[in-house]
Amino acid sequence: MGEAIVITSGKGGVGKTTSSANLGTALALQGKKVCLVDTDIGLRNLDVILGLENRIIYDLVDVIEGRCRIQQALVKDKRFEDRLFLLPAAQTTDKNAVTPEQMKDLITELKRDYDYILIDCPAGIEQGYKNAIAGADRAIVVTTPEISAVRDADRIIGLLEAEEIEPPKLIINRIRRNLINSGDTLDVNDITSHLSIDLLGIVLDDENVISSSNKGEPVVMDPNNPAALGYRNIARRILGESVPLMSVDTGKPGFFGKLKSLFSK
Amino acid sequence: MSKQQVVTIKGTKDGLILRLDDQCAYSDLLEELGKKAQDPGLEGAVEVQIHTGSRYCSDQAAKEIIQIVQSAGHLRVSKIQSDVITMEECNRRVQEQQSETYIGIVRSGQEVRAKGDLVVIGDVNPNGHVSAAGSIYILGRLKGKAHAGNAGNREAVIAASWLEATHLMIADQMETMTDELAILSEHPEMECAYLHTNGFIAIDRLQDLRLLRPGLSTFKGGS
Repeated sequence: MGEAIVITSGKGGVGKTTSSANLGTALALQGKKVCLVDTDIGLRNLDVILGLENRIIYDLVDVIEGRCRIQQALVKDKRFEDRLFLLPAAQTTDKNAVTPEQMKDLITELKRDYDYILIDCPAGIEQGYKNAIAGADRAIVVTTPEISAVRDADRIIGLLEAEEIEPPKLIINRIRRNLINSGDTLDVNDITSHLSIDLLGIVLDDENVISSSNKGEPVVMDPNNPAALGYRNIARRILGESVPLMSVDTGKPGFFGKLKSLFSK
Repeated sequence: MSKQQVVTIKGTKDGLILRLDDQCAYSDLLEELGKKAQDPGLEGAVEVQIHTGSRYCSDQAAKEIIQIVQSAGHLRVSKIQSDVITMEECNRRVQEQQSETYIGIVRSGQEVRAKGDLVVIGDVNPNGHVSAAGSIYILGRLKGKAHAGNAGNREAVIAASWLEATHLMIADQMETMTDELAILSEHPEMECAYLHTNGFIAIDRLQDLRLLRPGLSTFKGGS
């Protein structure tokens, strides 16, 4: 019996879909059987980021309305043999086409065959959000070091705490080292003390996240990328490993650093 | 039926007290009260208090009594006092005296209300709202909205470990905590907000609360 995790944020554009794609990929890289479910009906993107857009035949609404079996709608990511699947959202209907009860039944069915079901939640706190959290056992809240994103995360955490699921965990996405070091943005401690929930991990901002998403290859597949490391660490923490939090500040080069750079000239 | 005095008049240094018998019929009482009020022995403008004893006096009845007493023109009723209240009123007063405790964080969009005092153990985040008929005490950071004395109690206060609210309201007075406000301190630790005698909300150190609102302390015992 697998575990269903909803990835949500309240605010749009903080990286829910990117995080879903990368965490799903990272868990598949760890050998787990993962199913990604896109619940952003009408504005689907998860398929594009995973590079699976062209393989979609049926979607979530087709499954719920009984036009196909669940196995027919699942899109397999061939890079990971039989470990990563996507249930794409419908693009032609709207979020009201599905009810929370139907979502719950669907997720329960998927939990039989997969270790992890990652549910990509749409922005907002309306019907789409309610559908996305209906079948979830756990929740991950994604935020960025911006005051608006933190406010929305606070609201979402309040709503999640009223549900019958485990206390939500936090991912702080798109951390910019230079801004934190100069004190021009909220740092990790400010955010965790304000929201007072457990921190699952942090992801540094990196240009390659955008370029690799555009190519349809989640950045986490590149082991040397700093953002990829953040996602890999989070995936390991989801699996129960205890991984120390990576340090944000690179700081100024120390004495030896300066000496080294002097000789390398 | 023995002819007993239904209305007795007693003089004190604060004015006259009309003591109304609580066993006789209400209609007899009004009749007698009318006669007494017209008594030519009472001269000049006099303030009277009315004690109704164990007779329950509804708002309607109280109005009627006041009207009759004041009809002669020279008596003015300063207050009506009764030894009995309804269960409803009693329960309301008990609730107002009680304190409710909320443990947890009041997050954005959440609202916590109390009929009496409210104790919050945890932070009140921005866009979170706490409201009480009595005072509000926050063991944590107040960063949202707080409304004390929401039923009109102007003695209510808002106290917090860290008072950094966006809006403070006491009774019908509201203050938005903008930067130009002079009462804000740099380091708002252990502070309380109260209604100053000038009618505006003021903020002071928590240590001063016992002098500002001595009535809030319910502790009885030795030093």
